[in-house]
Amino acid sequence: MTELAIEGVRLSRRFGGFTALDAVDIGVKRGEIRGLIGPNGAGKSTLIDVLSGRAVNWDGSVRLNGEDVSRLTPQERRKRGMARSFQRTNIFPDLTVEQQLRIASWAVEEAEIDEVMSEFGLVALAGVPAGEISYGDQRRLDLALALVGRPSVLLLDEPAAGLTMEESLGLARTLRDLVTRWNVTVLLVEHDMQVVFSICDRISVLHLGRSLSEGTCAEVRANPTVIAAYLGTEA
Amino acid sequence: MNPTAQGTLAPSRPRTANKALVVLLIGAAALVAGFVLPWIGFAKITLSLLAQALFDALLATSVGFLFLQNGRVSFGQAAFFGLGGYAFGILVARNLAGPELALLLALAIPTLAAFLLGLVVARVTGVAHAMLTLAVGQAFYEVAFRWRELAMGDDGMSFTLPSKFFGFSASRLQDPGVMVVLAWSILVLVLVSLTLFTRSRTGQIAAAIRDNEERARFIGYSTTVPPALVYAIAAFVAAIAGVLQAVYNGYIAPQMFHWSLSGFALIMSIIGGAKFVIGPAVGAVVLFYIKDVAGQFAEYWPAIVGGILVVVTLTMPQGIIGLAVKQWRRRQRR
Repeated sequence: MTELAIEGVRLSRRFGGFTALDAVDIGVKRGEIRGLIGPNGAGKSTLIDVLSGRAVNWDGSVRLNGEDVSRLTPQERRKRGMARSFQRTNIFPDLTVEQQLRIASWAVEEAEIDEVMSEFGLVALAGVPAGEISYGDQRRLDLALALVGRPSVLLLDEPAAGLTMEESLGLARTLRDLVTRWNVTVLLVEHDMQVVFSICDRISVLHLGRSLSEGTCAEVRANPTVIAAYLGTEA
Repeated sequence: MNPTAQGTLAPSRPRTANKALVVLLIGAAALVAGFVLPWIGFAKITLSLLAQALFDALLATSVGFLFLQNGRVSFGQAAFFGLGGYAFGILVARNLAGPELALLLALAIPTLAAFLLGLVVARVTGVAHAMLTLAVGQAFYEVAFRWRELAMGDDGMSFTLPSKFFGFSASRLQDPGVMVVLAWSILVLVLVSLTLFTRSRTGQIAAAIRDNEERARFIGYSTTVPPALVYAIAAFVAAIAGVLQAVYNGYIAPQMFHWSLSGFALIMSIIGGAKFVIGPAVGAVVLFYIKDVAGQFAEYWPAIVGGILVVVTLTMPQGIIGLAVKQWRRRQRR
C-alpha cells in the first residue's frame, strides 16, 4: 500500500489564457500536516479545488490512498475519506450546530458527533442556529463539519482567515492535536505563517501555478528562492 | 476550545420523538374538530366558501412547502393543481378509467412530472427559478386554454361523477358539508405528514441543501434527488387540491393552471408564514375570513389583498405564525 494519503500528478488548470496550475505534482504522506503557501494567485485554492473535486476541466490525476479518484464527484471522494473546508465560512446558517453536524454524520455511516463537538468547543452552542453564532465559532463549526467521521485526508483552505491572532493559534493547536490523535493527513493552505510554521511537518510552495519548493519548515524558511518570491526577509 | 467547559449534550432522540408525538396528537385533535364544522350552523354558502378556502389552503401549503424545504419561490404550482383536476376530470368524463383509478392517476401524473422537472429546475435559483416555474405553469395554461378537443378549451368542461366512489355515493362529495369535512381531514393529514417529513432524515438533508448546496455536496450528499423529491411532494399536495376542486365543482377550466392562482397561494404563504408548514394554510384561512368580512367591497378584493400583503411584509416578515412563535419564545424567556 502506498504511503501517500493524497497525491496529485501533473495537475493543470487553465482559465482562458491564464494558467492557474501548470503540471503541479504533490504528494502528502499518511499522517503528515503539509502546508501549502504562496502569494495570491499562486494556485493554492485551485489545487485544493482540483484535489477535492470542486474544479472542472483540469488535467492530471488525483489519488486518494492509492486509488485514482480523478473522475469521482466530491460526494464520492467524501465517502472515501476526503474532506475539505473553504476559504469563506461554509456552513448551514439556518440549521442548528448539532443538527448540521448530525446531518454530516449520516453521510459517513452514522459517525459520532459528540466528540467532534467537544473537541471544537461547540457543545454549549448545540441548539443555536449557526447563523447566530460568532464568526470564530462558525470557523470552528466549519472545521468540525469537515472532520465528522474522521476523514483520512483533510484539505483546508485558509481555516484561520478572519480570526484574531489568538483565535488562529488556538485553532491551530486544536487542529494539530486532533489530526495527530485521529491520524488525519492534512493539506493546509494558509497565509498566516505563524499558524503554518507552528503545525506543519512540511511545506510546499507554489508560485505562478508551479511548484517552487518543498521541504521542512526550516528548509523552506531558508530557501532564497522562496524568500524572494513570497516570504521576504522578515520570515 | 476547552471541551470540559462546554457542558454536555442534551439527548436529542427522545426530544424528537416527543415532538413527533405532540404533532400527531395535535393532528388527531384537529381531525376530530373537523367533523364538528358542518354542525356549527354555517349556511350552505359559507360551507361552500370554506371548502374553497380549504382547497386554497392545500395549494398554499404546496407553495409554502417548496419554499420551506427548497428555498424556492414558485409561480407555477397551479400547473400541478390544474394537472390533477384535469387528469381526474378528463379520465372520468371520457370513461377512460374508473373514478378510483382516475384519482390514482390524477395524483401520480403531477407528482411524477414534478419529480422529473425538479431534477432540472431545482438547480436554478432566485428570480430565474420563479420565471422558469411561471413559464412552465403558463405553458400548461395555454395548452388547456387552446386545445378544445382536450376539455373544451377556454370554456372549460363539466363532467358528471359516477354513482359510486370507493363504494360511497359520489354525489355526496358535492355536498358542501361533506366536502368541508373531507378537505379539512385531508389538509390536517397533509400538514401532519409534511411536518413529520421536515423532521425526517430526508427532510433535514433537503433543508441542508437549501441552506448551502455546495457544502451539502462536500459533506457527502447528492444534491439533486432530495430537492426533486420535495418538488414531487409539493406537486402531490397541489394535485390533491386540484382533484378535490374538480370533484366538488364537477367542472374543470384553464384557470386552474393560471399563474395568478400560484401568485395568490404565494401571498397566502407569506401572510401565514412561509417558514412554517402550517403558515400557508393559516394564511389561506385568514384571507378567506377577510374576504368574507369585506364581501361588500368584492370588486376591490385584489387591492385589499395587496394592502394586507404590504402591511404583513412590513410588520411581520415571518408571517402570522412567525409572529406568534416569536411572542411565545419571548414569553418563555421571561
